[in-house]
Amino acid sequence: MSNFRTFILGLVASFGLPWLCLIVIPVLKYQALQPVAYDKDTDGVEGYYPPAPVHGQGQIVYLREGCSQCHTQMIRPSQIALDGWHKGWGQDQEARPAAPVRSNTLYDYLGEHYAPLGIVRSGPDLANYGWRAPERGIIHQKLFAPRSQHDWSNMPAFKSLYIVRKAQGPVSDKALKLTGKAAPEAGYEVVPTAEAEALVDYLLSLKKDYPVPGVSAAVAAAPAPAKK
Amino acid sequence: MQTTPSSADLDLQADNLRRAAIDKSVKGPVLFLFLNGAFWLMASTILGVLAAIKLVSPSFLGDCQFLQFGRLQPTHINALVYGWGIQAGLGVMLWIMARRSGQELKGGKSLLYVAGVFWNIAVTLGLLGILLGGSTSMQWLEMPRFVWPILLGSFLVFAWPMAVMFGKAFRPEGFMVSTWYILGACFWFPWIFLTANVCLHCIPSLGALAAGINAWYVHGVIFLFFTPVAIGSAYYFIPKITGRPIASAELAKLGFWGLAVLAGWTGMQTYMGGPLPSWMPSIGALTGTLLLIPVGVVGLNHHLTTLGSHSLVATSPTLRFTFLGSLLLPITGVIFALLSNYSTGVNLQFTHAGYGFQIIAIYGFFSMCVFGAIYYIVPRLAGCEWLSVRLIRNHFWFSTYGIGAIVVTSLVAGLQQGGDLNNPEMWDQDFMQLALNSRPYMVARAISWALITWSNVWFLIHLMLMVAGLGRRSSAPTLLHSAHDDTPHAAHA
Repeated sequence: MSNFRTFILGLVASFGLPWLCLIVIPVLKYQALQPVAYDKDTDGVEGYYPPAPVHGQGQIVYLREGCSQCHTQMIRPSQIALDGWHKGWGQDQEARPAAPVRSNTLYDYLGEHYAPLGIVRSGPDLANYGWRAPERGIIHQKLFAPRSQHDWSNMPAFKSLYIVRKAQGPVSDKALKLTGKAAPEAGYEVVPTAEAEALVDYLLSLKKDYPVPGVSAAVAAAPAPAKK
Repeated sequence: MQTTPSSADLDLQADNLRRAAIDKSVKGPVLFLFLNGAFWLMASTILGVLAAIKLVSPSFLGDCQFLQFGRLQPTHINALVYGWGIQAGLGVMLWIMARRSGQELKGGKSLLYVAGVFWNIAVTLGLLGILLGGSTSMQWLEMPRFVWPILLGSFLVFAWPMAVMFGKAFRPEGFMVSTWYILGACFWFPWIFLTANVCLHCIPSLGALAAGINAWYVHGVIFLFFTPVAIGSAYYFIPKITGRPIASAELAKLGFWGLAVLAGWTGMQTYMGGPLPSWMPSIGALTGTLLLIPVGVVGLNHHLTTLGSHSLVATSPTLRFTFLGSLLLPITGVIFALLSNYSTGVNLQFTHAGYGFQIIAIYGFFSMCVFGAIYYIVPRLAGCEWLSVRLIRNHFWFSTYGIGAIVVTSLVAGLQQGGDLNNPEMWDQDFMQLALNSRPYMVARAISWALITWSNVWFLIHLMLMVAGLGRRSSAPTLLHSAHDDTPHAAHA
């Protein structure tokens, strides 16, 4: 039976090595990761990197609805792709920035249970969506009726995250300002549920381009994290 | 040793009796797995049609929350992977392992039924869970987290008797490459599945590393479960139908150990240029490209074994499906290498090309080999022959054209998408142009899945009739060939 044992040992060794190196050791090392403090002198910023994890409750909705089937959350470095140069994909919302948005590091996703890096980019990347996000009402409108903003949008309408109810008294200040086809019939208003609010909170918390401590190039390129 | 004709006859008879006893011992569980697998396959292809339509027209079927693309697509893939792929794979594995090791399934059959039932209940609950809003968004592990222990337990119930059979029949001097692969699949899948689920569900907050582990899991299942099962099945059926031994034992060994050594490293290149420490995607890209060696070696070995017997491809349903499957194996390897390496991979990253790769791996290469096996195994278990040549041919051609169309359009769509994403001219445009550019490919995908659904509805009906014992009562196998047949394969022969 020694041959049988050799065979099994061969199987264990050939798979065990990548299993150990690629999964077990990185998992153990990852758990020791802590937020890094900025150095006021060299980084010019105070506080910790990353400043805060993303909004967890909203991420549950994001995962549940399968948003990562079509949206990525990962900026690739500019030597392999043009993600960093795409308008509005970083903090700078204006014209072509002087330096590309930096690519993401492990720390950007610290504190997330699972980072939905994404499968296919059928929609734009959301890694730094928090910077380019319009006001809440417009994000809600996009979620409720995507085709009211783009005729050919292939984004699903998440109607179930909203309540269509009879308007009573003055119009709720939460009600979506919908026009045209997307608008509810007269006398009705559309208000977001708590889940929709959480999802929007999550989307607004996606700012994964804070300067990396000790990386001077990134500091030069990215202004100090502004309060928004 | 001199044997008299009568004793040779007796040997043959004893052999046949032994085979019949083995077949009888595994009949119930294997047919159960095939039938349920075929059902899930049909369900998955229908979901594939719906999901593709949803990508073009999100308001199709109304704005029902349960059927949005983000829930429908994972349901479609999970039904394909767990409902069909692993289930039908287990059936093929169990039968080949019993036959090849010459062991009857001793006892524990009711346990296998229980495991099979539990597997299907778990898949049903898991898929409903995704649709009802319990998706975890972890690729291929979208099912709610209570499902995986049931799946793992059921799998182990099937894997254990196979390991026992393998152990009993292991001969140092014998070389049984198909059972090597099948034992490998029994052994690798639970390990990968357990690791991925523990990491993703039980260890809190792995962030981006969790995404890397997820990608590793997907490729682990493809290369350490689907691939070995399909290769094992091809190594069993090609020599069986052509009546020739495997061309080269050395190549077979090289192919096996090459796969075993390389496949565990691959997968994380899905996130090349991403947040993972860069050696992780790099080693994934390296091994993903090096996998061309074992894949090419196995393909060459199958080719050499089939050489000279190509006329049988036209007549034998089993060989025809297996032949196509083993032809698609190197193609799968090439597509994977294109996706893996940094020069072409970055263009295809985050595009529909990744879907094309998954579909050619599961439906193209794996499923074709499994269909071949099913066309061989079921008549021996059900005691009757396939009813209709036309249905088999229908299954073959619709599947072939369907899968070809899906894979080609996905790859071209991937090139288009990747080109758009990396087009400097489009740096300040929103995503509408990209969405519009990929619409035709999604329409093609919906049509292709519809073709495949058509073939699988008939496959399921055909299989149900067989399992019900309503097949042809004949000792002659159902062959595809007739004198005035002018399918391309007949012409080729």
